[in-house]
Amino acid sequence: MHYGFAIDTKRCIGCHTCAVGCRMENHLPKGIWWNRILTKGGEDMDTPEGIFPDVTMSYVPVACQHCENPACVKACPVGATYKDPETGAVRQDYDKCIGCRMCVAACPYTGVRSFNWAEPEYTIDFECGGQNVPAHQKHTVEKCTMCWHRLAKDEEPMCIRMCPERARYWGDLDDPNSEISKVIREREYMQLLPEKGTKPSVYYLV
Amino acid sequence: MTENVSAASTAAEPKHETWGGKGLNAAIIVAAVLTVAGIACWAMQLSGGMVQTGMRNLDSWGLYITNFMFFVGLSAGGLIISSVPNAFGMKGFGGISKVAIWTSVCCTCAAIGFVVVDLGGPARLWELFVYSNFSSPLMWDILVLGTYLVLSVIYLWAYLRAEAGRMSHTAIRAISVVALIVAILVHNVTAWIFSLAPAHEFWHTALMGPWFVASALDCGTALVLIVCLALRRAGYLALDQRHVANLAKMLAVFVLVDLYFYACDLLTSGYFGGEGTEVVAMLTSGALSPVFWTQVALMAVSVAILVVPKLRTTPGVVVASVLAILGVFCKRLQILVGGFQIPNLDMPGVTTQYAITNWQAGFTGAYQGMVYAPQPIEFGVTLGVLAMCILFLLLGLKYLPLKPAENVD
Repeated sequence: MHYGFAIDTKRCIGCHTCAVGCRMENHLPKGIWWNRILTKGGEDMDTPEGIFPDVTMSYVPVACQHCENPACVKACPVGATYKDPETGAVRQDYDKCIGCRMCVAACPYTGVRSFNWAEPEYTIDFECGGQNVPAHQKHTVEKCTMCWHRLAKDEEPMCIRMCPERARYWGDLDDPNSEISKVIREREYMQLLPEKGTKPSVYYLV
Repeated sequence: MTENVSAASTAAEPKHETWGGKGLNAAIIVAAVLTVAGIACWAMQLSGGMVQTGMRNLDSWGLYITNFMFFVGLSAGGLIISSVPNAFGMKGFGGISKVAIWTSVCCTCAAIGFVVVDLGGPARLWELFVYSNFSSPLMWDILVLGTYLVLSVIYLWAYLRAEAGRMSHTAIRAISVVALIVAILVHNVTAWIFSLAPAHEFWHTALMGPWFVASALDCGTALVLIVCLALRRAGYLALDQRHVANLAKMLAVFVLVDLYFYACDLLTSGYFGGEGTEVVAMLTSGALSPVFWTQVALMAVSVAILVVPKLRTTPGVVVASVLAILGVFCKRLQILVGGFQIPNLDMPGVTTQYAITNWQAGFTGAYQGMVYAPQPIEFGVTLGVLAMCILFLLLGLKYLPLKPAENVD
């Protein structure tokens, strides 16, 4: 099994619902975003590409690419970040992480990894999100887990469930009959930084 | 070997009494106090969080790792300077060998110190030896650095045994060959921490290894020169000016090799165009250009002083050595900050206080100047580690028999 994502950039409206859903489900501390909606071309978030009246707006939602050849897994000295052989998800063990940030430096996908630079603080003062989400720890690195706790219950990742435009696909890339395999077969797609040789598991339909 | 040491020892005798005393004790106390102050800063960093440093998700290493590279480099020179003559049976700098090895030991301790203060969870250090992932260049570095430290101490011990006539010169030669190999490995492996991952264009080059060795040789030699000239002045050891001149010429060659490697790398990156051009622009005219041109100027002046016989006086050599060391530090800074200065995904998104330094200025604003700038607490901790290194150095000079011996076989 090799789970992957496909994101239809023609459908994505940049509403950040998947990113907010991710924050809620994983009970992310203040200032931490595992899934970020990047604006293509503009100077700042939600600014268009080009000069008026020839402007376009498009978005690239970026989280961990769950690479087939992950640079972070090779770089981690204690195996705190590792690839789950069953699902292909790149996981993170907070209890093991020594906070050296080798993985942050090794990952080519700018900003998908977050370090808890301080004791985690929360916007709301009670626990929320999924059950069995491991507690966030000060001075450890974290990132998208592909909603590992949901996969364990045979549920899809929260970003998939949340997307109001149904722009996100998720499923088994090894299964030719899965919805994601079909959509990748039928549509044109691009991947982020394919030249780095990481073989990302996220496809952007264009 | 014999000739060299006898030359050294004749000059040493008249100044013997002037060494040590109150000045040294005062220096040891100052270094100890600063070390304790540094440890206090580190405790503050751990309890209050690393949010007090200038590091963030998009510039996730800073002054500590810069200094780590720098001190690994400094540590090399000493060992290489003392082991090359022994390994190849050259007439060398026997008189300064022990001081040079001790300098290496202290710098290696400082390098390890800088990695430890950079860790988020130093209490989990033991995991490195229990859950070791041998595909990680950091793991290799920890192993090689540890070996290097132990080996340096063994080398020093063997040297002392040989002087006491209890170890053959062959044994010393064997140890020095191994030490030399490990010294070169240490620098390569440190380079590989940066160069093996494909993430950053500036770092991902095969030249990084040899380049680190070159930098280690120039700043290490420079440090040995400064320490030895200072000790000669303090009356601790004698050093024939002939050897100073030889070391100075070697230093000039090393600095030139370092610059040559940089030139090769920049030409290869920038010549064809493409991603590498961005790196060259960042260094020569972009955010890092002040550091880059300072390095070039420092190294050029250093070489000029070292190759012109009239300028190659004792003060001249000291100045040139300081310039070379500062030049290498500038280079370390460029390597570290330069790696983070160019984001691979330069598309703006949500920016938070943990994402990047200067996050209020928005995504483009954060990359206007240098993407990383150290904060006061980092200077405090750095000063502490530096003081620890100097403390070890002084304690060694006070209590260890590092003075040149009168009779080495």
